[in-house]
Amino acid sequence: MKIVCMVKIVPDVDKFEYDFESNTVVRDNVRMILNPDDASGVGFALKVKSMKPDTIVEVVTMAPESVEPLLLDLARVGVDRVTYISDPIFSGSDSYATSKILAKYLETTSYDCILTGTHAIDGDTSHVPAQLGELLDLCQMSNVIKIDEDALDESKVVFTVDNDTSVSTYEMKLPGILSIQKESNYKLPYIKYEDINKDVNDQINIISNDDLAFEKGKVGLEGSLTKVNRTFVKEYKKRNKVVVGNDEQGIETVYSFLKDKGFV
Amino acid sequence: MNKDQIVQSLIDLLSKDQVNTNHEALYDASADRYKKYAKARKVLKVPMPLAIVYPNDTQEISELLKFCNKNLINVIPRGGKTATEGGLENWKDITIVIDALHLDKIIKIDPYNSQATVQAGVALQDLEDELRKIGCTTGHSPQSKPVAKYGGLLATRSIGQFSTLYGGIEDMVVGLECVFPDGHISRIKNVSRRSGGPDIRHIAIGNEGSLCYITEATIKIFKFYPENNKFYGYLIKDVETGIKVLREVMVNGFRPSVARTYSEQDAAQHFYHFHDNKCVLLFMAEGPKGIVEATGQAIEEAVEKFKDGIIKQVDSQLISDWFDNLNWSQKDIDDEYEGMIENDSHAGYTTEISADWETIPKIYNNVIKKVKSEFPRAHDLTMLGGHSSHSYLNGTNMYFVYNYKINCAPEDEMLIYHHAIQKIIVEETLRMGGSMCHHHGIGKFRNEWSKQEHGSAFYMLEKLKEVFDPKGIMNYGTIFPQEDAIKKYIYKG
Amino acid sequence: MKKSLIFIDNDNHKNSIDLLEVVRQIYVDDGCETYGICINHDSLMANNVFDKLIQVIDPDIFQNDPMIVTDIMEEVHKKYDFDAILIPATNFGRMLAPRLSMRLHVGLVADVTAIGYKDDVLEMVRPAFSGKIMAGIVQQGIGPTMMSIRQNVFSYEEKMSKTTEVIRYHPLKKRKSGLKLLDMNPKVQSYDIRNSEVLISGGGGTVKNFQKLEMLADVLCGQISASRMIIDKGIAPRNIQVGQSGKTVTPKLYIALGINGAIQHIEGLKNVEYIISVNINKNAPICFLSDLVVEGDAFEFIDKLSMKIKNEQIVTNKLKKVEPRR
Repeated sequence: MKIVCMVKIVPDVDKFEYDFESNTVVRDNVRMILNPDDASGVGFALKVKSMKPDTIVEVVTMAPESVEPLLLDLARVGVDRVTYISDPIFSGSDSYATSKILAKYLETTSYDCILTGTHAIDGDTSHVPAQLGELLDLCQMSNVIKIDEDALDESKVVFTVDNDTSVSTYEMKLPGILSIQKESNYKLPYIKYEDINKDVNDQINIISNDDLAFEKGKVGLEGSLTKVNRTFVKEYKKRNKVVVGNDEQGIETVYSFLKDKGFV
Repeated sequence: MNKDQIVQSLIDLLSKDQVNTNHEALYDASADRYKKYAKARKVLKVPMPLAIVYPNDTQEISELLKFCNKNLINVIPRGGKTATEGGLENWKDITIVIDALHLDKIIKIDPYNSQATVQAGVALQDLEDELRKIGCTTGHSPQSKPVAKYGGLLATRSIGQFSTLYGGIEDMVVGLECVFPDGHISRIKNVSRRSGGPDIRHIAIGNEGSLCYITEATIKIFKFYPENNKFYGYLIKDVETGIKVLREVMVNGFRPSVARTYSEQDAAQHFYHFHDNKCVLLFMAEGPKGIVEATGQAIEEAVEKFKDGIIKQVDSQLISDWFDNLNWSQKDIDDEYEGMIENDSHAGYTTEISADWETIPKIYNNVIKKVKSEFPRAHDLTMLGGHSSHSYLNGTNMYFVYNYKINCAPEDEMLIYHHAIQKIIVEETLRMGGSMCHHHGIGKFRNEWSKQEHGSAFYMLEKLKEVFDPKGIMNYGTIFPQEDAIKKYIYKG
Repeated sequence: MKKSLIFIDNDNHKNSIDLLEVVRQIYVDDGCETYGICINHDSLMANNVFDKLIQVIDPDIFQNDPMIVTDIMEEVHKKYDFDAILIPATNFGRMLAPRLSMRLHVGLVADVTAIGYKDDVLEMVRPAFSGKIMAGIVQQGIGPTMMSIRQNVFSYEEKMSKTTEVIRYHPLKKRKSGLKLLDMNPKVQSYDIRNSEVLISGGGGTVKNFQKLEMLADVLCGQISASRMIIDKGIAPRNIQVGQSGKTVTPKLYIALGINGAIQHIEGLKNVEYIISVNINKNAPICFLSDLVVEGDAFEFIDKLSMKIKNEQIVTNKLKKVEPRR
């Protein structure tokens, strides 16, 4: 069985700090990490591999060269092949263009099941998984919180989805795309101490536009159907500690506060 | 002798009730707080001891040690279990833990001669509570006070929060009793002072269970003046200013009971409600009224002298409140254990060092810089800082503290995070001529550097070990480095 | 006349219909003919608010499969040629919208929270970086304006009733779905304090009657959590402990009753929006992190605030005389 995991390398958003004085978000020195939902996908794939050792797991991502160390680490925890698609011509692609690029690569490789994350902590459009489904003519479902690893084979997969109002279990014909949430608790294993500097270069597969042959203008900024016009920061007010007593006036103040913020 | 025979012999020597072979207890006894995370996650890779034994008196301990010495059984002496440097960790397959649980009698309290005699298994808090009833105090207050016991307090040369006034344990011990591996019981009598050859109390005090088993101690007791306590707190620009003020107070001849300066991140842990991201300097003056007032005045003058580095004074009540909530309890330890099972992060590892006044700020700055730039997982640190809390005429200590997120398998955590940071701190301190071990003992996790720490004087320690523990049965791996064991239990080689 | 299509998600009719407000904001004075589409369900709410309502009822169509629904939406769009297609950002909507936009080769903006015009171009604003930064996006190329819209942000106020023309639509393309529903269970109330938007938390000052917190939790629809002191005394189970060795929580509102605020507790409150502290000591450390501090006894506060909330509720209900919508 072959599982392909689509992953994205994103900034560690939790470390962004808000500067009250300049009303900006400070993003300096923030590390890049593997998107948590995507890490769950790889975690699940590796779990299947540990149960059925002849499963092949390939991780695919589109990223600049600077994130290579993170991808090497994926090879060190058991991923068979890490494919990374990188070319200056792809820079500036929106989700539409990105999906086209990823789909073009996927057409050249085999897979029974494609796993992705549902939410990415940076853009969080959740466009790519569904758009890959459209381009590859595959079924796709998001918000997956559990996959039945025993019922998984090359023809079908059984999984559970956390919908807004209900929890549903589906069976999907494979090949297909499942988008997992980190709440599924599938965890990426840690690299063993002895493997920390393991040479995994033969597991890395680099794909550039030489391989995919997109025309300029079909990808990157020019090939995108949406553009970021501007970014700005939500205004945060520093907390003003207001002290009141336990009397009528105090309770009134608390009540108004709660009403104003929509809690009553 | 095989393991079962050994256990049976122990039962014969003592009694069935005094020998514990319960699996959970033995697992817990395999390591101490240095490996608390791995223990909570059940991935300790050290051997478990065969049994924990609870002798009733000194004679039984003598019999036990003779038995172990004859049969080459490793012995780990144990009291309150609060060790943090691996002193209680087991590195031998055939080991027994001798726990002072039943040596819990307060033998005598003698206020006229300012002395109290206790057995090794007496908890510091218990003696303290008794002394308070008569208006006295031990003056000894490590954070582990509610849980720590006298055997360990002496064996590790422990120090308490009020040491700047009362001194460390070595200043408080009058006489003691200890047992050696050959079964010999030595009683050192209680006298106010003598010149009768070298001070042999110091063979026992600080030996960390590597030379003998301490069974009893007599310590000084002090008159207690809680009604006169004065607190001072200040926000200051940097750690150097704090050190300068501390030095000024000490060198001018004053002894506040508490004299501390905290770096910003460390201060955040205790004073987040007022420290405003600055460093904190605080004092407590204690004792008879005249002394407290004079000390208070001296503190104010010292602060005034360095006022360029002082940002503002803090409400003394806040310092006083903080002080009341400082010590651990068994509940704190249990809660921490539960937390480590659930969460992949860690809080509360420390490395404490000492040096003279001039060198301490240099060491502090160098260490912080080096950890940030040389520690490969610096991005996982959630807190890095330090505080000076024990001052002397000629210098002070620096207590480095660090918390971090753990992004590796639990069994790798110690090597990737804790030990890596400790190494940077120890090596920089030794390079600058300071001491790598201010008050937690060398244990097992600093013994790689024992020889560097003592230099040519290590000879004197080595000879003691040869003479008192020729078969090497006392707490194998503590203080005296064992290459193979270090490779196996620290470096996973 | 412009035409807009709104996908009515069976999981959330109200939020779907609220998208009419977005239509109003896009077309302002020009006006727009509004279409809604329901697939294998009916929407009583949609009556009298849309100009036209397209209904697709066919048992052979599996409406849970975004692929199938995309086929239908594509056909419908080809027939009516909409200027705007709006989809609520429900879980289903977030799968449908990108697929449809790719099918139509049109740019899509996801999870929109505000719209406006910048230099005559429609700009759609959405949160990025887990909400820390807002991005204003514009569409490039031709095709209908397409967006998925965040729930509970826009609200449609019914100005006047309309006569809705119901169109029965029978899709031509009927592919077989690769998806099969095996089981469905409505969601059970989660008791994980990490999922709660409102937390009523008790500390040492509430030991005497910790149960009383339920009174406040009820009126504010929140859950109860506790500081370590309550757990240590065996009054509450460990799974509601907030703090470094317990859980890190991110509610919108955290009411700290009789909690001192040791750093270990505060570590569990990383991203709380509003904190109200009730403490007899207004200088307890946690008060310095609070928006509002009530100096007084926690139990007295619970009684008084609960009473106040209940009374106000009665007054409001009397004025409105309306059954609350579900």
